[in-house]
Amino acid sequence: MMKCKNIAKKTGYGIFLAIVSVIMLLPIYYLLVTTFKTPAEAVASPLGLPTHFTFDNYIKAIDAMNYGQALKNNLIITVTSVIFLVVFASMASYVIARSKQKMFKVMYSVFLVGLIIPFQVSIIPLYKIIAGANLMNTHLGVILVNVFCINLPLSIFLMRGFINTVPQELEEAALIDGCGTFQCFWRIIFPLLKPIVSTVAILDTLAIWNDFMTPLLFLQSSEKQVLLQQVYRNVGPFSTDWTSFFPMLVMATLPLVIFYIVMQKQIIEGVVAGAVKG
Amino acid sequence: MIMDKRKNRTYFLMILPAFIGFIILFIVPAIMSFGYSLTNWSVYNADIDFIGFRNFQKLFQDAKTVAAIQHSVVYAILITIIQNVLSIILAVLLNRNSKVTNFVKGITFLPAVLSIMVVGYLFQYIMTSADGGLLNSIIQFFGGQPVNWLGDSNIALYSVLATQVWQWTGYTMVIYVANLKSIDSSLYEAAQIDGANGIQRFFRITLPLLYPATSFNLLMSLIGGMKMFDAVFVMTKGGPGYATETIMTTLIREGFNTGKTAYACAFAVVFFVIVFVFSKVVTYFLDKWEGAIQA
Amino acid sequence: MKKKIIATLLCACMAATAFAGCGSEETTDQNTDAGTSAADGTEVSDAGTAEDGEVVKLRMMAYNAESSRASYLKYLDEQLPNIEIEFEFVSQDNFDNVLNAQLQAGEGPDIMELGGQTRLLANAGYLLDLSDQEFITRYADAGIQPYTVDGKIYAAPLQSWYEGIFYNKTIFEENNLTVPKTWDEFIQLHKTLEEKGIKPQTMGAQSYEPMMKQSIALVNNEFYSDEANKDFDEKFNKGEASLAESWLPAVQEWYKIIEEGCLTQDMLGLSYDQALDEFATGKAAMWQCGPWAVETIKEKNPDLDFGMFPIPGVDADEPGWLVGGPGSAFAINADSEHIEEALAVLELTATEEAQQELVKDNAGSSFVEGVEVDLGEIYTDCEEAFAAGHVYAPWTAVWTNGNAVTEGYGKSLQEVLSGTKTVEEALADADEINKGLLETLE
Repeated sequence: MMKCKNIAKKTGYGIFLAIVSVIMLLPIYYLLVTTFKTPAEAVASPLGLPTHFTFDNYIKAIDAMNYGQALKNNLIITVTSVIFLVVFASMASYVIARSKQKMFKVMYSVFLVGLIIPFQVSIIPLYKIIAGANLMNTHLGVILVNVFCINLPLSIFLMRGFINTVPQELEEAALIDGCGTFQCFWRIIFPLLKPIVSTVAILDTLAIWNDFMTPLLFLQSSEKQVLLQQVYRNVGPFSTDWTSFFPMLVMATLPLVIFYIVMQKQIIEGVVAGAVKG
Repeated sequence: MIMDKRKNRTYFLMILPAFIGFIILFIVPAIMSFGYSLTNWSVYNADIDFIGFRNFQKLFQDAKTVAAIQHSVVYAILITIIQNVLSIILAVLLNRNSKVTNFVKGITFLPAVLSIMVVGYLFQYIMTSADGGLLNSIIQFFGGQPVNWLGDSNIALYSVLATQVWQWTGYTMVIYVANLKSIDSSLYEAAQIDGANGIQRFFRITLPLLYPATSFNLLMSLIGGMKMFDAVFVMTKGGPGYATETIMTTLIREGFNTGKTAYACAFAVVFFVIVFVFSKVVTYFLDKWEGAIQA
Repeated sequence: MKKKIIATLLCACMAATAFAGCGSEETTDQNTDAGTSAADGTEVSDAGTAEDGEVVKLRMMAYNAESSRASYLKYLDEQLPNIEIEFEFVSQDNFDNVLNAQLQAGEGPDIMELGGQTRLLANAGYLLDLSDQEFITRYADAGIQPYTVDGKIYAAPLQSWYEGIFYNKTIFEENNLTVPKTWDEFIQLHKTLEEKGIKPQTMGAQSYEPMMKQSIALVNNEFYSDEANKDFDEKFNKGEASLAESWLPAVQEWYKIIEEGCLTQDMLGLSYDQALDEFATGKAAMWQCGPWAVETIKEKNPDLDFGMFPIPGVDADEPGWLVGGPGSAFAINADSEHIEEALAVLELTATEEAQQELVKDNAGSSFVEGVEVDLGEIYTDCEEAFAAGHVYAPWTAVWTNGNAVTEGYGKSLQEVLSGTKTVEEALADADEINKGLLETLE
């Protein structure tokens, strides 16, 4: 009796796992398998395996996207932005979490405004500022917008929440030891923030890599453009063919998927750490 | 005292880079936008005149705007509920340490790695009403009738919503899983001795202790839902008709595409107020909940 | 003590590396920028005076994809060695948004492809006055007229564009069908094909454009063909005339195609390229589109035998109409730092050779006088309509707020197809948008 119930439970759980996996993987499988098919094949059997494997579509896609250059641009923008974010946000959130000064609390609520308004609503003044600083059509311009207009508020919000849970005794001891606040932060606190730093770095990497509007608005030269812009440039509404389009989608996403697969454990545990302690 | 002063100065210098950057690149443009909302500034009009609240008046007289606000609110509420319920269920059921569950967790998170633009284009093909559309092929295989997912104005918004649930549920789930791990297992053992069944244990122990993850996830999906733009832009362009127009798509179309910058700015102000009120309401209830748990 | 020193050093190092990390990233970033620009000479050209042998970079922003201008761009590249064109494609649904933001911030492209926006941008002073340029006199008046504002010319027209109905000749021959001469025949044609189990017309109605254009083709047939209505568009621009009053009978005639079930709601779920796909693979017998689709159709199905016919009206004696007009045009940013070079590009564009290159990728007639373009066999059925001058698109030809009004109108037509709006309401919506925009211009 008991055994029967257990078996039923186990099968039920197995079915549940199978259904979840199918729902999550089917669209991705479809994307991949379509890249190897002719349009006729794709229509005839959307899910069937292709009759022959050819990488011609991918070679065409890589060529059309100016892949190497675009990938480099993506990397420059993402890596630099994330470093900026981690440095600036960790220092700012430390101050907000530790100081009882009213001024810093006010600054915190100012940062939180950024969580609410999407920056696109003030795009024209922003455009003027970036242009005025001679940063139009530069990677630095996109990096600054990505850092300050899009990702800084959430990074600070997450980091502050985490720092609140770090006991203060350690720094107090260090301070008594004569270590200055600034050194004390980098020496004692920052290493303790590893979980939240990885959370923030991962979330920001995903957001910045996949951001499309900022580069579209601020980068005009094709040799400075990022992967998604290259996809967009090639799919103009008047010249699309999905068998050449899907490989571009795959190629634009591939680096990040590899990053995910390699770092899967850290990502899943990393995303975790920050949010929950908040 | 002296030390405090010095400490404050260091603090000030530490927060400064983030704050200055944020003020110059976010707050100043935002305030400028708010200022412009009271003018008639337009791309096609060189002189700027102060016109008071006329933009706001026009905004609320336009049925399209009101409909777009409704869509965004409905969308935000629905996605918040659906995504969080699903991910709590998934988190509870997948919170074991076996190779299989870890694999399933891994692939559930995978779509969050993809760009919304990529997901949007992909689902445009999956949900197409053309022959060979994947979703309709599957439905027809099981003997059902094909559905016009993105072309039927009654369901287009929900089709877009479904793709976003697919994309983000894993992300939310992972946060819940982390929270679950921090719950002391002895609590469950005690409840089991008391004779509580699985569902009772969930409501008495798990849910209250999921407070930190829930508060974060609710706020994030609510604000994200209100800001929704990319997915609609790629999949339906706000159509058919105005069926899937959200606040952001309307703002960009009515404001920027037609050059009415000031009007767009007024729209932005209204948007800010709505999201602000929304998040205040949610935080109020979350605080109450927190109080109840601690009591 | 020692411990403390080491610790201090350590954290100093950390801070230093943290900062150096981003600092060096930044410098490498700038270095690569400088590197690339030095290589192709942007920095130098920024000074404004390009001397011999130096390459000037011109930014050209367009809403027609690079592939539809490939031969032309290659030709420019060969003929103008000291000018490098940086072609920036922004698809139409984002174009005004991006262009407006750039212009308003004083960062506009040097050369921009314009259509219905020209009048607005010219009035606001963003465009260079081309009236005194020698090359502009080479264009026929019909091509220049839409880009003339208060007697001044602001853009040079590219080849004309037009949309008609592409049809699959093989399907027509196999079923003994002929090109329809009246709107009723056109609808009847749908029914005949349907009875034979062939999908008559496909339409990517997920976009607001196809229905908007098809219904305006009927307005061309029934309204604009009448001399008495010639001044309607000017009145509409001033807000003195409304679509709901003038266009209604024609659009109601068009509406029959929905009433009779030839356009269906599932088309609202089809995108442009999915519709193209259905036509190219022979799944649907007809599809309304223009020359820019021809290359893609041929690529997908090299064996497809197809032609284009104009959209017929009520009267069988008159040839049908196409929706179209002078194509988009190139305008020069008045604030450009390279006006001289930009003018050189437009100058070259106005030559017979350049016009022929343009037509290669996107068939259309040229507005440069004396340039004869062979459109090819596909358009034989349209010859009569071309000869009669039956090509018109009011929103690009005359309207001030063309893009916004037609978008609103087309979106409302999608609601008409969904069954939630009437044709009258759709026209009234468009009037409303026009009125609203006129107010902001006052």
